[in-house]
Amino acid sequence: MKLKLGIYWGAACGGCDVAILDTHEKILDIADKVDIFLWPCAMDFKYDDVKKMKDGYLDAALYSGAIRNSENEEIALLLRRKSKIMIAVGSCAHIGGIPGLANCYTRDEVLKRVYIESESTINEEGIIPEEAWSNDDESLELPRFYNTVKTLDQVVDVDYYLPGCPPVPMQIFSALSLIWNNKLPEKGSIIGAGEKALCDECPRKKDEKRISELKRIHEVIPDSEKCFLEQGIICLGPVTRSGCGARCINSGVACRGCYGPVEDVIDQGTKMISALASVIEAKEETEIERIMDSIPDPLRTFYRFSIPASILRRKKV
Amino acid sequence: MKRIEIDPITRLEGHGKITIFLNDDGNVENAYLQIPELRGFEKFVEGLPVEEIPRVVPRICGV
Repeated sequence: MKLKLGIYWGAACGGCDVAILDTHEKILDIADKVDIFLWPCAMDFKYDDVKKMKDGYLDAALYSGAIRNSENEEIALLLRRKSKIMIAVGSCAHIGGIPGLANCYTRDEVLKRVYIESESTINEEGIIPEEAWSNDDESLELPRFYNTVKTLDQVVDVDYYLPGCPPVPMQIFSALSLIWNNKLPEKGSIIGAGEKALCDECPRKKDEKRISELKRIHEVIPDSEKCFLEQGIICLGPVTRSGCGARCINSGVACRGCYGPVEDVIDQGTKMISALASVIEAKEETEIERIMDSIPDPLRTFYRFSIPASILRRKKV
Repeated sequence: MKRIEIDPITRLEGHGKITIFLNDDGNVENAYLQIPELRGFEKFVEGLPVEEIPRVVPRICGV
């Protein structure tokens, strides 16, 4: 019997959905093994179709995207009820992802910028989307835009995590094959990724890491064979889970941590600060300060993908 | 007044919902396209180092 699968996106870009399609000819193997019952990006099913299912009807739900509004949360709860296994797919569902950067601001700051201040928006009446609107005969509702972006496991019980922005297509395929081969690991496991740090699969030459100067990418002509960090260019490789095949590194840019923290680490950003502290070569306190001050945006560099899952969670309000 | 909801609209990047109101004769009185989605890139890229922008904004749409 074929597996019954639901695929959904919350606050997402659709990159994870496309990564599923990017399994190329393997998509035929997937089609052989699974029947799809929800996939807004690619197929026409409605929320009502899912609501009508018996609880536990689906074998697995793949949820990509963060929880940004009440609709994202409602569908996450609905799919959790209808599915035996819930898998957080991609950085947004796993650790908050790029939409999680909004946790540096409040809900009102985001709405004001987008609808009132944006240079490309004409909104003379200053209208901001409301949750409910009605006149005599008609009423409309919109989801509530939350103050805080959440990860999937902050709103529902998650069985497995398939990290990456987006996950490497073949890692999606191997993770799915764990389901139909009955080889799923212990609940709560990361699937479709490595256990060690990205440095472990990074092809660049590594020597001794002693940094006396941090550099932004336009301030140097980087050596394409040498470790970024050893050249003073911040790379989150030491604190990021392997599994991507060093995609960004092989494209000539340093890692920003989309696969989330390495095994047993909760807070990727703090771990990076700690990693950096151990390789900075400076004796005087003022010298350390000067080097650290040269990082233009530590929060959004060390926590590029992981603010909602971190111990910081969001800006204090 | 009869109400028809198409939720979600599918096979596109993003979230959308269409609500149609029919009058007593069964004709369309009003139809609304609702976009229930916002992430706020306009805000959270502010002040980000310029060399990082090309690594963030592709996540507006990955389709």
